[in-house]
Amino acid sequence: MALLFIVAALTFIFFYLFPSGNPASLRAGRAPTPKVIAEITRDLGLNRPLPTQFYDYMKGVLLHFNLGYSYYSEASVKSLITERLPATVSLAAGAVVIWLVSGLAVGIVSAVRRRTWLDRAAMGTALLFVSAPEYWLGLIALFLFASDIGKFKVFPGAGSYVGISSDPGQWFTSLILPWLVLAATFAAVYARLLRANLLEVLDLDYIRTARAKGLSERRVILRHGVRAAITPIVTVLGLDLGALLGGALLIEVVFDIPGVGRLNYDALNHADFPIIQGTVLLAALFIVVANIFVDISYAYLDPRVRFK
Amino acid sequence: MFSNRYRWKATALALLAGVLAVVLAACGSSNTGSSATSSIPLKAGESPVGQQLYGKQRGGTLTVYDHEDFEHFDPGEAYAVEDYTITSATQRSLYSYLPNTTSKLEPDVAAGPPAITDGGKTVTIQIKPHIYFSPPVNREVNSGDVAYAIERGANPNVANAYFQPYFGNIVGAEKATGGPIPGIETPSRYTIVFHLTKPTASLLVGALVLPLSAPVPPEFAKPLDAHKPTTYGSEYLVATGPYMLKSDSTGKFLGIGYQPGKSATLVRNPRWNPHTDFRPAYLNQIDINIGGEPAVIGKQVLQGEDVVQNDVPAPSIVKEAYEHHPQQITFTPGSGTYYASLNTAHGPFTNINLRKAVWAGLDRDALVKARGGPLVAAPMTHFLYPGVNGYQQAGGAAGPKVDYNEHPEGDMAVATKYMKLAGYPSGRYTGDQTLQVVGSTGEPQEAMAQVTNQALQNLGFKTHLTLVDQSAMYSKYCTVPSQEIDVCPNGGWVRDFADPQTVLYVPFYGPAIVASGNANWSQVNDPQINAAMEKATFTVGEPARADAWAKIDEMLVRYAAAAPEIYSIQAQIQGKNVAGVNQLWDTGAWDYDFTSLK
Repeated sequence: MALLFIVAALTFIFFYLFPSGNPASLRAGRAPTPKVIAEITRDLGLNRPLPTQFYDYMKGVLLHFNLGYSYYSEASVKSLITERLPATVSLAAGAVVIWLVSGLAVGIVSAVRRRTWLDRAAMGTALLFVSAPEYWLGLIALFLFASDIGKFKVFPGAGSYVGISSDPGQWFTSLILPWLVLAATFAAVYARLLRANLLEVLDLDYIRTARAKGLSERRVILRHGVRAAITPIVTVLGLDLGALLGGALLIEVVFDIPGVGRLNYDALNHADFPIIQGTVLLAALFIVVANIFVDISYAYLDPRVRFK
Repeated sequence: MFSNRYRWKATALALLAGVLAVVLAACGSSNTGSSATSSIPLKAGESPVGQQLYGKQRGGTLTVYDHEDFEHFDPGEAYAVEDYTITSATQRSLYSYLPNTTSKLEPDVAAGPPAITDGGKTVTIQIKPHIYFSPPVNREVNSGDVAYAIERGANPNVANAYFQPYFGNIVGAEKATGGPIPGIETPSRYTIVFHLTKPTASLLVGALVLPLSAPVPPEFAKPLDAHKPTTYGSEYLVATGPYMLKSDSTGKFLGIGYQPGKSATLVRNPRWNPHTDFRPAYLNQIDINIGGEPAVIGKQVLQGEDVVQNDVPAPSIVKEAYEHHPQQITFTPGSGTYYASLNTAHGPFTNINLRKAVWAGLDRDALVKARGGPLVAAPMTHFLYPGVNGYQQAGGAAGPKVDYNEHPEGDMAVATKYMKLAGYPSGRYTGDQTLQVVGSTGEPQEAMAQVTNQALQNLGFKTHLTLVDQSAMYSKYCTVPSQEIDVCPNGGWVRDFADPQTVLYVPFYGPAIVASGNANWSQVNDPQINAAMEKATFTVGEPARADAWAKIDEMLVRYAAAAPEIYSIQAQIQGKNVAGVNQLWDTGAWDYDFTSLK
């Protein structure tokens, strides 16, 4: 809770300290009179002292979970975020599955087949994906594989997303490209991370002991090696997933997925502070929750944590 | 000031030359320079004689891509180009423009031309019978609805940006806060009379094309207007035009026909009476998809069928469309100006000769390139732009005859001459002050800001160029005089309606300078220019007004009120199966009342 309060306070301070649009001027049209700006300023409550504005905002958040109203669309921020969250969750959940499966598999294979052509090819590809900007990768994927504008018309393209309840089939197919693009970068990072950790672990004494006891190589690697090597990855996963649930901004923009990330992107363009504040708080909340799960999973993965 | 958009291609020079020649020839043939209808070229590869407006196929659903969201659907609040594409489909003002004109008024809710009496201080307008509001209101429109529509513009919860500048001379408007205005009378069900404090009837009549004059039913809107801000237009709305935002039985459209940041749906207004309207309304439905990456949207449109892009395509898409899909792109000159404001109230540019030196030294050809090339920009030579009444009288494409305006590619010899006249014998600035230059991030604004910044440095100025988000540039820097910004290289203007006053008055009238939200970025406050503007405001009749404002335009050039950059030409793209019609008066945006499927 303290962390969320600090995040809210920092967002609030940054918005007023650093260059950003004046919401009243932006709403007032092309050539507003001072009267019009003053009226809008008053209507938005921007004429009150900053501490009062912050106090009222936090009171609304804590007591009523009221995140305020958009300066731009005048809609409730809570309803906007609630409406957008399923798209972001859909995007993040599918991508996590893909990047964990592929990233961990590639990492293990690379570690086990160290210095072979397979290892080099896998790590080279991983490096490529790590280096490629997500936005660029998304555009390339669309221009190559989107069914409307792609060279090879394979997957539904930008703007094809629908909610899972309205058409599960289209929901799934529309997310395949975004999932793959989003997962590519993360999978590459996770593969490299796991490879490095696993190589370190496989040189430890207890692994040698396990082999000496006659355990199968598969059991040694998966049960004893990966289990120990994966702990740092779980930490990163918690942070990544928490941040993603707060909005995969670039992917949502490129693939025109109406999620929290795109909501935040539009809000930044319009100096729509209540939405910026709401989405930042949401991201912080997800990171906090994800870290709690990470701590719990440590206990499961690492007996030493349980023991302590 | 307006947001950016537009672009380029070198092989288009030949076409553009032809296009400009036609524009010039046509404008030259007009005594008023009003361009009225006519002569603005429309489509790449097509004869610029005008758009086919009627006789097209009826029916079908048009899909519209728009990477930016709308701001206001309320006719009392709308002011942006994108918003007008919706208000012109859902609302009927007293007067409107046909899409192929830039200045000729067409009676819309009005039954005929206005009667101007009392030396320009009274305007009487008859309105048509049998115009109806959409459900749930359903009743016939009367003059009281027009009166309420304008009166609510003064309501702080509506806060119409145009109320004071264009309706502020109605008797009693000064103190209005949303209630009845004494100067607006409705002597009969179909008659509305405006009494003015000054003889500004011409300006008022011009402003009656704004959505603010579209009828609003008080019994429906008043309770909504009591909210801060009003929820008329953000949650509920009724229509008088051929289309309405898809709504429930209470008139609520939020969450039904409009999902903020996601989509909007226009359907036919069942109460629209086509016998009272000049709009053909061919389409059955318009589905608008909000969001997405401009380069992707552009490709989707060029490769799609029943689809258009509502906002301006990305530069790469303009180039691709021009080269490979010429029938799917249109270009509309007369889409506004871009100029660098020079602070005439503070710092070095209080010296007029320094301003003239910057004007002379600025490479406007480079700015055209930076903007996207000659398909989407032409060098600016004065402040009235093509298609605006008075443009021809003020010198047309060449502009007023002053030496610092003669070479769009930049003339360092003339620039040096004015630097010397400004008191810098070396021909270069040797003062201590570092110029504060604030531009906008994003292309092409950033490139244009760099060109202007380079021109300043070529004259010896030390500059500190700050590029910030466009919204911050507007609301925190360039519109706030106390920031004392010396140069804002991404300024510009688009007319509010056809009258030349809407191009020159707000951005250059001294007494209109305000502490925040100031549109006069250069802070021009010259007594002679102010007096000429005040006099011209009272001028009645289109030709006389064109002449009067052309003279003011020339005064502004001689005052070097800003450094001119480019005249904007707007590109729009459509799918293969769309017969799109551009609203020339609205910077070429698609007109959904006239657009059809092939």
